[in-house]
Amino acid sequence: MDQGIDRRSFLKLGAAGSALLATGSSLTLLTGCSSNDGPAAGYRHFRQQDVDLLTPLVGAVLGKALTDVGASAEDGMKAYDDLLDGAMPGTRATLFQILDLMQLGAARWFITGTWASFAEQSEDELQQTLAHWSASDRGLSRMAFKGLTQPMFMAWYVKPEAARSTGYPGPPQKIVA
Amino acid sequence: MQDLSSLPIKGINDPWKTGIKNGWDVIDGRTVSADRTLEADVVIIGTGAGGGVSAEILTQRGLKVILIEAGKLMSSDDFTLNEGEAYRDLYQEGAMRATKDAGMTILQGRTVGGTTVVNWTSSFRTPSETLQYWQDTFGVEDLLRNDLDPWFQKMEERLKISQWIMPPNANNDVLKKGCDALGWEWAVIPRNVEGCWNIGYCGMGCPTNAKQSMLVTTLPAAMNNGATLIHSAQAHRLLIDGDTVTGVEVRPLNNDKVPTGATVTVKAKTVIASGGGIQTPALLMRSDAPDPQGRVGKRTFLHPTTFTFGIYDQEVAPYYGAPQSLYSDEFVFKHGVDGPAGYKLEMMPMHPGLTGALMGGYGGDARNEIERLPNLASSIALLRDGFHADNPGGNVELRDNGEPVIDYPVDAYLLEGAKRSHLTMAEMHFAAGAKEIRPSHSHAGYYKSWKEAKEAINKLAYDPVITGLGSAHVMGGCAMGQDESQCVVNSDGSYKYLNGLYIIDGSVFPTSLGVNPQLTIYGMSARNATALADKLKA
Repeated sequence: MDQGIDRRSFLKLGAAGSALLATGSSLTLLTGCSSNDGPAAGYRHFRQQDVDLLTPLVGAVLGKALTDVGASAEDGMKAYDDLLDGAMPGTRATLFQILDLMQLGAARWFITGTWASFAEQSEDELQQTLAHWSASDRGLSRMAFKGLTQPMFMAWYVKPEAARSTGYPGPPQKIVA
Repeated sequence: MQDLSSLPIKGINDPWKTGIKNGWDVIDGRTVSADRTLEADVVIIGTGAGGGVSAEILTQRGLKVILIEAGKLMSSDDFTLNEGEAYRDLYQEGAMRATKDAGMTILQGRTVGGTTVVNWTSSFRTPSETLQYWQDTFGVEDLLRNDLDPWFQKMEERLKISQWIMPPNANNDVLKKGCDALGWEWAVIPRNVEGCWNIGYCGMGCPTNAKQSMLVTTLPAAMNNGATLIHSAQAHRLLIDGDTVTGVEVRPLNNDKVPTGATVTVKAKTVIASGGGIQTPALLMRSDAPDPQGRVGKRTFLHPTTFTFGIYDQEVAPYYGAPQSLYSDEFVFKHGVDGPAGYKLEMMPMHPGLTGALMGGYGGDARNEIERLPNLASSIALLRDGFHADNPGGNVELRDNGEPVIDYPVDAYLLEGAKRSHLTMAEMHFAAGAKEIRPSHSHAGYYKSWKEAKEAINKLAYDPVITGLGSAHVMGGCAMGQDESQCVVNSDGSYKYLNGLYIIDGSVFPTSLGVNPQLTIYGMSARNATALADKLKA
């Protein structure tokens, strides 16, 4: 595989204005979605279309990490939203560009190998999509997989209840007079 | 089972609460809504290792210093040991900073005290091989080990740096056992701590003030000497008049890191840029500072770091205890200073958020993996970057809104080193008694013997992104040396193309170091800030 070509295509994506993003933005016109929409109800950063897109994926990626502590995919999605508090505005904007792109079936097919939106896939189908996506030798797919899923784990396992579910007993008690 | 969760930490004096009560001049940018202008002899941009040391030295000589810090003021009373809050409040981009193509995640501090507030306290003098290479290759002057050793000694005394005397935690003990079994050298890490509780939370802000970061040493000293600190305020542009710098335009930030709309103008005849790698080059780029060879932001280095997990029968509890206490330099210069990538071996502390992010994967397998955290040991290999023509490092770029981004191609030179380092760490873990190991590679599984691991690692495709790399050391971007085709800073810290501008931080390194960088920054900063004070007071 030529990493160089894939790397360049990703850099174009990050920088916006590429052919890929042009496709994405025409889609946003068709669907009425726009990167400038405000956050969804109950969220500080993710927009409603992001919540619809990603919540099923968060549920599949975190899986038992959520259910073992009685949490839902929505809890995982809200943790992801909390994590974005620390990001710079430009970092969030880049993430939103990728999510806008993934609203498009062709882009989902190119990146994940599956045309259907995550919400339209059964649990088994989502696990198959993740198996295919995570093993892809396409540079852009690898970058998107890491870029989207790595923060899900960090976001979830920094929550004290999730942290303790790993066997970590938790930090000492800081007591301020 | 080790369990510190009921250990109370109380009765700790917060030096900033006390200091502010006693009259320290601290301005919180979040409260600044109207324009204002301030004047000083010296304005220092950044309060980490370079800015902290410079501030103490300059104020001791009676100079009026104003410190500018983009991060918030957080001190021991605020350090709750909550991993998520620490990333959000104390790290660049909430610990989500990454290279442009997502090939490497970068842990870098962003708070009053900079990365010194969140580092793991390892304090090494710069290897003489590195300093000799700088002189030979970039024309760095008068910065060999015998020049720097007195400054290292001074800072070691100032920051209570000495070899850790307590036994290593089980995580670090793996390095000792493995190296002993294989006949590899290892040694005890010098740490900048005094009265350390050995609990393991250096990366979340030391709750006991044992870590001798800038937050509890040089910055309080500078405040006692009359310095002014403006925190939650971004140095946006240098003020430049012709070929001379005259101050800095500062944008106060609200709690969401968004400018409040006010401007603080700080006028000073001397400006010290101490924002560190990435931030200092970005400031110069935003300022359109003269750079005739186009070298600002180039040659940025990260010590790309691979890691390998080992699973042990006995409990490791890698989240507790001094995070780094032993190291091995067996492989750091094994192929010379400028051969294939050398690497320093250390261990890393593992708290659940970071662990989950580094393990990656998805679904049931990912869950099963992290449930073994109490029995996991995690070794790291810091690859020396920048010592070979095939490895020129990364470039800092600016987003449309002025935020910096680092474009760092993970090249074949690094990937070859990553593979060798995985083999080394796999062998070390098994020699230490590991039952299974997994190298930092998305396509790797757990291997149950050294033989199985060796065969599997040799078959893995070493490509960017799937090869797990991280960085906790940002260096370079404003290289020091007399070679003007590559360098923009003189060996005394002065910027080559503007009067009055000095760069005193890790961004002046023309390569990476081969050791954790804090003591190198402290020593070089003490040397250059002292020379600057002599010049200003002459």
